[in-house]
Amino acid sequence: MIEIRDLSKWYGDFQVLRNINEEIKQGQTVVVCGPSGSGKSTLLRCINGLEPFQEGEVIVDGVSVGDRSTNLYKLRTEIGMVFQRFELYPHMTALQNITLAPMKVRNKSKKEAEDKAMELLRRVGIPEKAHEYPANLSGGQQQRVAIARSLAMEPKIMMFDEPTSALDPEMIKEVLDVMIDLSKGGMTMIVVTHEMGFAREVADEIIFMDEGKIIERGTDISFFKNPKNPRTKEFLDKILL
Amino acid sequence: MGLAYKFDWGVLWRDPYGVWLLKGIWLTIQLGLLAWVIALALGILIGTIRISPWRLPRFLATAYVEVFRNIPFMVQLFFWYFAGPMLFGQSLQFRINAIIGLNYYVAILALGLYTASRVAEHTRAGFSAISRDHYQAALSTGLSHFQMYRYVIIPYALRIIIPPLTTEFLTIFKNSSIAMTIGVAETTFMSYKIDSETFHGLEATTGAMVIYLILGLGVVKLMGFLESRFRIAGLIGRK
Amino acid sequence: MGGFWITVKLTSFALLGGIPLGILVGLGRISKKKWVYYPVTFYVNLIRNIPLILVIFWFYFVMPIIVGRPLDPFPSAVISFIIFEATYFGEILRAGYQSVSKGQIEAGYSTGLTYVQTTRYILIPIAIRRMLPSMITQSIVTYQDTCLAFVIGLPEFVRRTTIVDNIEVRSIQLFGFVAILFLITCYISSVVSRRFEVKRERGY
Repeated sequence: MIEIRDLSKWYGDFQVLRNINEEIKQGQTVVVCGPSGSGKSTLLRCINGLEPFQEGEVIVDGVSVGDRSTNLYKLRTEIGMVFQRFELYPHMTALQNITLAPMKVRNKSKKEAEDKAMELLRRVGIPEKAHEYPANLSGGQQQRVAIARSLAMEPKIMMFDEPTSALDPEMIKEVLDVMIDLSKGGMTMIVVTHEMGFAREVADEIIFMDEGKIIERGTDISFFKNPKNPRTKEFLDKILL
Repeated sequence: MGLAYKFDWGVLWRDPYGVWLLKGIWLTIQLGLLAWVIALALGILIGTIRISPWRLPRFLATAYVEVFRNIPFMVQLFFWYFAGPMLFGQSLQFRINAIIGLNYYVAILALGLYTASRVAEHTRAGFSAISRDHYQAALSTGLSHFQMYRYVIIPYALRIIIPPLTTEFLTIFKNSSIAMTIGVAETTFMSYKIDSETFHGLEATTGAMVIYLILGLGVVKLMGFLESRFRIAGLIGRK
Repeated sequence: MGGFWITVKLTSFALLGGIPLGILVGLGRISKKKWVYYPVTFYVNLIRNIPLILVIFWFYFVMPIIVGRPLDPFPSAVISFIIFEATYFGEILRAGYQSVSKGQIEAGYSTGLTYVQTTRYILIPIAIRRMLPSMITQSIVTYQDTCLAFVIGLPEFVRRTTIVDNIEVRSIQLFGFVAILFLITCYISSVVSRRFEVKRERGY
């Protein structure tokens, strides 16, 4: 579904991604972890064209992201993304947040969009908050609305950039539960996170990145029990209690 | 201390002075409001172009802001009034200069163009205040750049910049008085005219002061009302 | 070209009077004593809400009454400017005062300095140093404002001798050309001011 070949990116003189190679099949859940500044977030943004890259190829479902002729807007309707700080539109209610893109991009009618939005809100567990503004929602609720917002476009792939890092501990579980649900339901997912419990439960592959390179990959058991690379071990020691 | 000066506050409402003053106030209001409409529409547009991803429009917008913001308003006003018509070539030039009330139109235009550059800067500041991730979140749902600005960014940014916009709105009314230098008979002009007829300029100008203060208060109240009506729950606002 | 010197003189006097007055105004604005704070705030808000032209006119009319005899335009203008610019410098300095950390003031008091001494030797110098870029740009604005006054001065003489019965005063066209020459100098001062602003920013 996603093929990344020799992907390299520079910010000016600074190389933030070095020769990334990776393949993600449909239905897989891939967890990306690593110290900050390792390029994880940038990698995600290269996949949906939010960040340009200088070298290499990224092919999503047959579409080459780096190609000049590619319609990035259309590509993004197939890839949903959830952000660390939720980024809900503050001047709109939860419902309006979710229905905006389906109505404006897919030209759905208001009723159609709202019905779907309510369904999604039920799915993430907060249908009663449909008419609340983000400021009146807890962090966990906001993030769940953000997930619903991305799901509203019925994407083939969902990407998560440290979705629980800005949450109070009590709310992390409610968001992870939604994500686990999504993964078990067959969604192709790339999740940048430090939540190893989540990785252990649903990840098909775990990637450790440092300084722009993929240092190690593995499936959960091999990854956690026998990390091959000393840097991986170092990192895991720090984040696992 | 005996004052040799006899106050005559009647100049403020006696015929014909009162009428002059009213006409002046009406012109000030017209100048301010019409120029403000131009400034808002043009300014927000230019501010948006300023941060668009396309190089040429962005450069033009930046050039506009730098030019119109840094040249003192009176210089701009004089330019448009005296040199402006010449830009239209020989034949049109005379026709334009013969338009009655030309100074009125020029004043509104100049005031609008000048203030637009400042509104553009405030708009840009509003956009900068919104995090990069927020833009990306909107784009990631498949919205086009245009849709993102129209539905997500601009509504948000506008609410953020209501305070500085209020200041600009106030400044427009103050700058409208500069139009008197090209003969527009607005409030300040009229207060001066009353003095030239009655030599009671003190009362006249004091009256004019009060008028500007009232206008200023009206602006502040209006913007305050807008601010509360469009308040985004949870953002820092004034009580 | 004599006009140019007038504007320079006017600016200099305005700054010489306006900045010290502004220092005091700023202090007044952060004063905890109500009998200081309210009048000063009233004065600042009053002046800042009305156009400069009107302030100049108003003083031109007020001064003769207070002083008891008609005043020459130049001193009247100087006083108007001092009062006007002092409000702007006052606000700039107020921001400067508020940026001085309380600790430094408390340090001053704890070494036994009086309010006046603390203010004079600690608060004011620090504030001025911090706000110097803003003060310089405001000074240039003052220069531009004096250009404005000069331009007003010309039609003033023209109008005093003509009977105005139209909305449009065509005699302005006559002096317009001369005024434009002055306004070009204003523009140049804007450019200078901007260069200075940018230079200052790069300095950090």
